[in-house]
Amino acid sequence: MIEDKKESESYVGKSIRAKEARAPLIGKAKYTNDYTFSGQLYAHILRSPHAAAKINSVDVSGAKKVSGVHLAICGQDVFNHTNGITDHLNPAIFGGKSTRLPCMAVDEAWCYGQPVAIVVAEDERTARYAASRIQVDYTPLEPIIDVEKAVAKGARSVVPGWEDNTLIYVPFMNGDTQAAFDAASHVITTDVKIHRFSSQPMETRCYNAIWEHDTESITLYGTCQNPHPLRLVIAETLRMNENKIRIIASTIGGAFGLKMHGHPEEPLICLMAKLLGRPVKWVESREECLLIGAREQQHKVEMAFDSDGVMVGLRDNVLANIGAPSACPGWGMVFLTGLTMPGPYKVENIDVHMNAVTTNKPSWNAARGYGKESTAIALELAMDNAARQLGISPIDLRLKNFIAKDSFPYNSPTGLVYDSGDYSGVLLKALETIDYQGWKDKQAAALIEGRYLGIGVAFELTPEGGTIPGTMVAGYDSSTVRVGPDGTVRVLTGITSPGTHNATAMAQIAADELGVDIAKIEVLQGDTNASPYGFGNYSGRSTIVGGGSVALAAQDVRAKINAVAAALLEVEPDTLNLVSGVFSSSAKSDATLTFAEVCYASYTRAYDVAMCIDPPLEATRTFKPPGIRHTPDENGRINPYPSYSNAVYVVVCEVDTDTGKIDLLSLAAAHDCGKVINPILVEGQVCGAFAMGLGGALSEDIQYDANGVQLTKSFKDYVMLRMADIPPIGVAHHDCPNPDNYLGLKGAGEAGVGGSAAALVNAVNDALEPLGVLMHEMPLTPSRVWSAIQNANNGEGVN
Amino acid sequence: MSLHPMYARPRDLEQASQLLASLSSGAVIIAGGQEIMPFINYGVMMPDVYVDIGGIKALKGVNVNDDEVSIGALTVHRDIQSTEDIVERLPLLAYAAQQIGGGWQVHNRGTIGGNIVSMHPLYDIAPALLALDADVELLSDKGLQRMSLLQLQNDSSHGLGSSSILTKILVKTMLPNVLWGYYKLKNSAGAYGSANAAAVIQMDGEKIKSIRIVIGAVSETSVVISKALDGYLGGAYTLEIGRAIEKVCIDAIDEPLSDQQGDGVWRKAMAGIAARRATEMALSNLTTSSIKR
Amino acid sequence: MEDLLDTSALIQLRVDGEFHELDVLAGRTLLDVLRDDIGKKGTHLGCKTGHCGACTVMIDGKVAKSCITMAATLARAEITTIEGLLDEKGGLHPIQQSFWDEAGLQCGYCAPGIVLSALELVTDNHHPSAEDIELALAGSLCRCTGYQSIKRSVAEACVRMYPANENIN
Repeated sequence: MIEDKKESESYVGKSIRAKEARAPLIGKAKYTNDYTFSGQLYAHILRSPHAAAKINSVDVSGAKKVSGVHLAICGQDVFNHTNGITDHLNPAIFGGKSTRLPCMAVDEAWCYGQPVAIVVAEDERTARYAASRIQVDYTPLEPIIDVEKAVAKGARSVVPGWEDNTLIYVPFMNGDTQAAFDAASHVITTDVKIHRFSSQPMETRCYNAIWEHDTESITLYGTCQNPHPLRLVIAETLRMNENKIRIIASTIGGAFGLKMHGHPEEPLICLMAKLLGRPVKWVESREECLLIGAREQQHKVEMAFDSDGVMVGLRDNVLANIGAPSACPGWGMVFLTGLTMPGPYKVENIDVHMNAVTTNKPSWNAARGYGKESTAIALELAMDNAARQLGISPIDLRLKNFIAKDSFPYNSPTGLVYDSGDYSGVLLKALETIDYQGWKDKQAAALIEGRYLGIGVAFELTPEGGTIPGTMVAGYDSSTVRVGPDGTVRVLTGITSPGTHNATAMAQIAADELGVDIAKIEVLQGDTNASPYGFGNYSGRSTIVGGGSVALAAQDVRAKINAVAAALLEVEPDTLNLVSGVFSSSAKSDATLTFAEVCYASYTRAYDVAMCIDPPLEATRTFKPPGIRHTPDENGRINPYPSYSNAVYVVVCEVDTDTGKIDLLSLAAAHDCGKVINPILVEGQVCGAFAMGLGGALSEDIQYDANGVQLTKSFKDYVMLRMADIPPIGVAHHDCPNPDNYLGLKGAGEAGVGGSAAALVNAVNDALEPLGVLMHEMPLTPSRVWSAIQNANNGEGVN
Repeated sequence: MSLHPMYARPRDLEQASQLLASLSSGAVIIAGGQEIMPFINYGVMMPDVYVDIGGIKALKGVNVNDDEVSIGALTVHRDIQSTEDIVERLPLLAYAAQQIGGGWQVHNRGTIGGNIVSMHPLYDIAPALLALDADVELLSDKGLQRMSLLQLQNDSSHGLGSSSILTKILVKTMLPNVLWGYYKLKNSAGAYGSANAAAVIQMDGEKIKSIRIVIGAVSETSVVISKALDGYLGGAYTLEIGRAIEKVCIDAIDEPLSDQQGDGVWRKAMAGIAARRATEMALSNLTTSSIKR
Repeated sequence: MEDLLDTSALIQLRVDGEFHELDVLAGRTLLDVLRDDIGKKGTHLGCKTGHCGACTVMIDGKVAKSCITMAATLARAEITTIEGLLDEKGGLHPIQQSFWDEAGLQCGYCAPGIVLSALELVTDNHHPSAEDIELALAGSLCRCTGYQSIKRSVAEACVRMYPANENIN
């Protein structure tokens, strides 16, 4: 085999700085909103001020009279031009309910903020002003906001015609849970409430649609994680052929799931461009972005333990308030929360019931963790509670119950097949990173002074690279590697980047496989007319399937180049060496050729020396991770994930018992994402997710009043953490490579929101244990913590 | 409400007041814009006329006359934090201005006048100025008027921000033996205040001679507490007295705010905690060094 | 008095060294003028309420949020955007270089505002403490990095710009 260079000379494994980071630093990155086209028009959407209302009439005549307005239309008119929006994940495939999802409300508004009418004008200000001239006559209905009211007998159906409000109920059952609970020495119940918080990237959504008169087609510049699947959605919704739609996902300013498709504005803005024959742009306001929810779940976790503290059974009943129906894949988070039970713990007997419940709140979209973060929150709060009740340290209880390192591949009771892991090792690494014993000593010393320090630990298992049969959520992806006649490389991939610099990771892989300087590689993502068919960015998949497919394609191209090089040098390919862009052969000491010379010959000498290959120097390959199993087992279960990244998060905090305010003192994470392609990029993902989870646990909260009117409309009330809130984060790797994936990749980026949130809650409970305080409801705002302390003082310890 | 509002940039105060008098309604006075632009951006406010007072020289500058510091309404927070005359003579105000949210970007543009005129219950300037018993000067069709900030706060008929202009803030130099403290409780670095307290204390040796506390961010307007604390004068500060001050301040809050930062019960309790902490800060003598210039 | 009133105002801006005289409608933000009239797309819209800092530019050498600055109120001003930091040869400013080297950005949407805030900090303060950096960047949100690499980038920029810093600790 050909020896290129030593491991130490390869790009993979090094903190190569991202080429694509330069443009944003000099203000030249092109985000979607940075494109403006000749004849550009702007849209403003009028939204329902009611959570539930009959729409008696919509009179757009006032808007049409405003100078500069090109179009003002209501839901009924849009309805006449469109089909329902194609679901990202149709719940009906899984036995759930389905309904036609209009781009705008027609007869009835089913949540606050639902589009009711749209105005397109010369500029944004005119469009917004004109929208204020639209008269809508509503008859408000009793809104269903609370999840328990939504599932109560006789509750009004949010969707007319549905017999109840449960979009989907999914049980996950295995073993004999009843018997396990009957025989258990201890049963510990933990009620966990997770609130509504979402990913809120700094760049809000933006769509700019162009009607191409020459080809009667649409080009959509959009903030979009999944351009190819969105193409199908636009085509079906607008009753067009899929090949008449081109999506360009430009530089994306953060996504975290929020820019997965299904949003009504996607087809709506395309329709405006089609109707007007001019480019139409819509920029989501922050207030609109805060309509998008996620994660709101309440759990009743019951854990059964034997007398040794070994978990023998797990029950959970979950009600998730998913808001109004939507074509976005948010509801699927609930499914994943159940599927990921019981996480890292070796327990066969489980009885988990997931209920995704429709209400008159605005709908969800995917958010980092995609439900798996909620599994971690529920399990890890319950584990700490169990440890406390059993009188075992939370560390020991976890070590006792983790799936052992030698049990992989491990068949989970929900049908998942965990590829690899050393959960105890990850936990111990995290404790070492934070200096756990040191903090325990400080905690004891502080308590004597009347200060309350707490140390919290939580595990997060994050299945990555998911795929669901029968949907456009695919497990594979494809890439093209093209080496030009000058030896430079173009990589085209179906994977998109939400701003993580995964293109650099792919360039590192391509450079190593081709044996070229990384500076010679350009990666193009996000243009459906250029990239091979792909599914974009989600589920921590980008480097697993993007990197894997780039590697395969690069290997194919490299084989062609080697064949031509060998032919030119008149040696056997396996005698070739490629060092610093120069080919030589061990069989012929004097002859050399540059990489570029070989490439040029490959293009130009197809009928003589390059006869041995099919020109051009190009290959498109797909990486299909082998761990996925869609054929149901005897219990009807599938394994939709090829890879199971995992991590432990540790939070040290101090609680000000006078005010309830939490100060973070130290943070650490140890994780297993398989082989690390680029340490500085992975570290950035870990730290970003950590901050997002802490923000969720502390303050990020989208609230509604009793009528379902949104109260949280800006960053004044949706409080995300700032630099001063976050102490240094220690990051450690404890990698168990995935035996099935290219380079052992497991996925990095999605993990961390649940583990860090749970570690924070556990730390606060640890701090306040001497006061008898125990909280399992997020977020831990000062007022909530303070109230719990007051209640404990009054003898009501458990909150 | 207009799609095409009018704009005027009056040269001086006289021109500005004549202009305001000539406008029937719908005028909005703008300077730094930090307070009103969010409302304009979201169409919550659609004024007919903007009157830009940012160029009026008479509204600028910090001057000292005898023992009174006069602060022009256009003085930005960054200057309040660092102007020598304010740091030396009104350190409480300089410190409170550092606690304002929004970062340097807002501190560089936001004016003390705009901060006061907004009458936002969660802001920092009003509690500090009320603790210092500041006066303000207004220009309206009635001419120039001087009144206490407390009076202004309790009077909603002044037409500030639309028909009358806040021109300057007038504050007596803090005496060298006056101790001060300011405590701002906020849920995280990016949150607005949930309870702010300014304390001004005069000591006679070890004994408390006078004490004045102002609580902000807990009710619609800042609450000034001084007489109710008379019972704790004449003795040295102890933890019991601290707890008693806390209780007095809690009792002084009738209708606490309840918003996403915290419910009313907690806010009321935090009024007491903030008051005690501001008092302790004052007595700790750590204050002057805590101003970052 | 009516002659004082107009639907627009004349402003004179020097933006990244280039002079612009503009007649801007009342109510428009500096952000809109920079992006739409002058083409400075490196200045970003994130919230339009002044909370996130993505729109940060320098006005007369001091950072400001351009989304809550009304353009008409800037009769005369010197504006620096992220696009004005490159040296004459197109090389990165040391702060930009540090952010690049230390991965002080991911999606990059907040980066222009954060880099400009860092610039104002290190111009006056050659040895900022961690707390100084936190204060100077308090007006900006970043959703990607958890701020760890940003803090590192600012500290590194100071070491590079003021090499004497290496001896201090």
